[in-house]
Amino acid sequence: MTEKSLKRVSYTVLTGPAILIYAFIIIFPIVFSLSLSFTEWSGLDTPKLVGLEQYVRILTDPVFLHGLRNILLVVAVSIFGQIPLGFVLAYIIYRRLIVGGRFFETMIFLPITISAVVVAILWNQIFSPAGIYTALMRMIRDDPRYVLGIFESKTFAMVPILFIILWMYTGMYMVIYIANLQRISPSVIEAAIIDGATEGQILGRVILPSMVNIIFTTAVFAISGSLKSFDLIYAMTGGGPAHYTEVIAIYMYVNTFKYYNYGFGSAVSVVIVILSLGLIGLIQIIFRRFERMYEA
Amino acid sequence: MKKAIALVAVLLLSAAFVFAGGQEEAVEEVGKVKLTMLAYKDLADPVEAANWQIVVDTFFATHPNIEIDIEYGFDEPFHNKLQAMFVADQLPDIMFLWPGKRTGQVTGSGKIKDLRPWLKGHEDEFAAIAVAAQGRGGEIYELPEQVTDCHVMYTNEKLMKELGLTFPKTHADLLAQGAKIRAQNLIPVAMTNKTQWQMQSCLLSALTERAGGMDWYDRVIVGDNASFADPEFVNALSVIDELAKEEMFSPGINQLDYGQALTSFVTEEAVYYIDGGWRANNMVGELTDEQKEYVEYKTYPDIPNQKGTSGSTASVAGTGYGMHSRLEGAEADAAWEWIWFYSGPVGSAIRQGFGANPAYKMPTPGKLDIMVKKLIKFVAETPAGYVIDAVMDAEGMGVLHPAIQEMMMGKKTPQQVAEEYEAWVAANDTSRK
Repeated sequence: MTEKSLKRVSYTVLTGPAILIYAFIIIFPIVFSLSLSFTEWSGLDTPKLVGLEQYVRILTDPVFLHGLRNILLVVAVSIFGQIPLGFVLAYIIYRRLIVGGRFFETMIFLPITISAVVVAILWNQIFSPAGIYTALMRMIRDDPRYVLGIFESKTFAMVPILFIILWMYTGMYMVIYIANLQRISPSVIEAAIIDGATEGQILGRVILPSMVNIIFTTAVFAISGSLKSFDLIYAMTGGGPAHYTEVIAIYMYVNTFKYYNYGFGSAVSVVIVILSLGLIGLIQIIFRRFERMYEA
Repeated sequence: MKKAIALVAVLLLSAAFVFAGGQEEAVEEVGKVKLTMLAYKDLADPVEAANWQIVVDTFFATHPNIEIDIEYGFDEPFHNKLQAMFVADQLPDIMFLWPGKRTGQVTGSGKIKDLRPWLKGHEDEFAAIAVAAQGRGGEIYELPEQVTDCHVMYTNEKLMKELGLTFPKTHADLLAQGAKIRAQNLIPVAMTNKTQWQMQSCLLSALTERAGGMDWYDRVIVGDNASFADPEFVNALSVIDELAKEEMFSPGINQLDYGQALTSFVTEEAVYYIDGGWRANNMVGELTDEQKEYVEYKTYPDIPNQKGTSGSTASVAGTGYGMHSRLEGAEADAAWEWIWFYSGPVGSAIRQGFGANPAYKMPTPGKLDIMVKKLIKFVAETPAGYVIDAVMDAEGMGVLHPAIQEMMMGKKTPQQVAEEYEAWVAANDTSRK
């Protein structure tokens, strides 16, 4: 056996099992889902080929479009809320701009350690018409029929949920940023201070350039995590009232498992994958520009 | 030598004990039938949980040869679980089922056994509606535990007396009571409507019969010169719309979880409470003896342009347990033992003591809780129409219910809701095909 063929055999033996497992649990479901998305199937009978019909139905369904709008709001809060806020908090703690940094670090990180369903129930206990906040407001305003009207507004019903998402996940990004900030050599920052750099210059010229990659990675996490958003929202509102807080993962779940529309549900899942890849691609383009900017 | 003989004797004895023990265990295992079950039970509800525990304990005490591994679910999570099991072809041996379309996909799939061969000869022991056909070929997939009236207007007569009110004769009379009730910081009609069935099952279904009558109701289901966009259905929806606009319901009704209105009623924060007859279970456990004297079971008052029957409710043959079609021989017989125990004379007697109105015909014991006696009288005397989600497809509820919520929040008119639902039914509902 030549050295080349020996290498080929070794690579095959070493990577083969992993590739097979990956193909079975990742590739196969995606391909299966993609093929199902062109059919109408209730899970019982033989799938009926319907071409792009399911996609047309999805893209013309106002419930899906509202769910898409809601999920894009979640993505926006993740990208423009959790990441900058997480970074700012990490920077404040890392640069010891406040006392008791450890305490704040623990407090901010705490929500991520609680199950999303528990978080949903906790917040429900506060804001639902039978919750503490409502009871308090009824007492203060002397209005026994007071309820938090925002949940009944099609435009703003997502706002409390977005706030909870921000509260819950910011701590995770903060910890990631702190870990990466600690990898920056203190001597570089000390040198900058000796050279007379201001706090803003340290942040913009020293810290940020070395954090571009991790910010990109967390942005990818934020996008993929947001598009999967399900547990917290489902446990809190079930997507209601009247689909106002529905996101596309709930839309997919309800159509697939409640109404047995497997072809339709598969098409929604494909849309989620496409959306996810598209947004991640966009983020990649933006961050490459940033990288080039800092390299220059 | 002696030591050697003793050692051999000990080893032989030990072996004999081991084999004897093993055989005994094997005999025990051979005689026992093991089954799996998905039960519909809210274990967080102390009344239901206590009732259920007695039923289960009694069953296992009287059937030592049957072992059932029970999984639980309630409300939407139950249906999600049942459907996931169904799709994955992992349905349990015994499962809780609905007689109509709520679990129609499962019962109509061929994976549920027709219980008629076991039930033969016992039909007359049940209320007629309970043993009506559940499948197109007359199949009975589950043995109903009770006859279910889905609309009851529970009334607190003590509060009414204190407020100088009498039970309203008409919808307009009820609306007129609103201001007086609210002025006392009370809720006129306690109800929840967060998940996709309460308003439709517990109020709209009864109102639909009131508005259109049974002849129209029968025709609208199949689309025989009648549609859900007809003035009859719009009228039924308008009643709900007016109740919402006049602030008659619990505040934030569309955000309230099922069960929260019951609390308002039991704590006497509400004069009326609309829910299903099954809530009699909770009334038994949660009302004081004094409260039980003045809480009455009524139905919604007459509505404008009513064509149906005054005082009617919406009724459905009850839910119950069915078995997987794969079961044969001893396993099928053991599954039937549970099904018969639960809905038959023994289980029914236990459940009746906790407030159920069993489908199994049985004399009303004198000792029965007053709330159960009232329910039995209510069911016997109250005419009934259909429950919409028992006769129309479940997927359509995904259109109807959010539309009702929007209407109640002032975003849609009754006419729009009716037209949207009719459009979906005409295009998709299996009753129209």
